[in-house]
Amino acid sequence: MIKIEPAAWTVMVQHAESTFPNECCGVMFGPSGETKTVVEAMPLANTYTGPQEDRYEISPEDLLRAERHARQNGFDLIGIFHSHPDCDAYFSKTDLENSCPWYSFVVLSIKGGRFDHANSFLPNADQTAADKEPLEFPESNG
Amino acid sequence: MAKVLIPTPLRQFTDKQDAVIAAGSTVGEVLGALTAQFPALRNNLYNAEGKLRSFVNVYVNDEDIRYLDKDATAVKDSDTLSIVPSIAGGRS
Ligand SMILES: [Zn+2]
Repeated sequence: MIKIEPAAWTVMVQHAESTFPNECCGVMFGPSGETKTVVEAMPLANTYTGPQEDRYEISPEDLLRAERHARQNGFDLIGIFHSHPDCDAYFSKTDLENSCPWYSFVVLSIKGGRFDHANSFLPNADQTAADKEPLEFPESNG
Repeated sequence: MAKVLIPTPLRQFTDKQDAVIAAGSTVGEVLGALTAQFPALRNNLYNAEGKLRSFVNVYVNDEDIRYLDKDATAVKDSDTLSIVPSIAGGRS
């Protein structure tokens, strides 16, 4: 179960809508513990060098910086988010083959430039399957 | 003895430590010492063939070992190793 607080959710939705029709990406931070609660979201650059309508890539350097940011602020990097422009929020084959089992992956479906729905996934270490994870986010996205 | 920073999701395998001091003069040796001390980490970092998993990147300070000497990259006592995943995707 992963819960996203309103301030973080607003950042995620605004980033996903403003980068439409391209895919966007970013990281989510929260306190470590039994329940995953996202208190801060940080947009990161999509570093994929080809067309970005259907691909995203996060540079390891950006992730390293994000991890340091979390350490300095006393919370943890708990998830990754990205958008699917004009497409549902499933975990695709490309998503799976380029995933990492250590984090929750939240996918935001953006249709016609507006947020539509979202899901969270937990990929396995062999990148062969991803379980859906219960996701809670604010009804109104501001 | 270099310092290895442990990403949050892996701290469950390191007795909750966010950094571990491990011996070795190369990246391979330091990671070997780390996974000897915490065997449950091994599966998370290496695949069945004993190779670093495709999504695992290792940095010595600010340098990716892929662009240095990979496993054979020299490590000094004052160095800090970071384990950073590769993450990408796409809708299709
Ligand atoms: Zn995707």
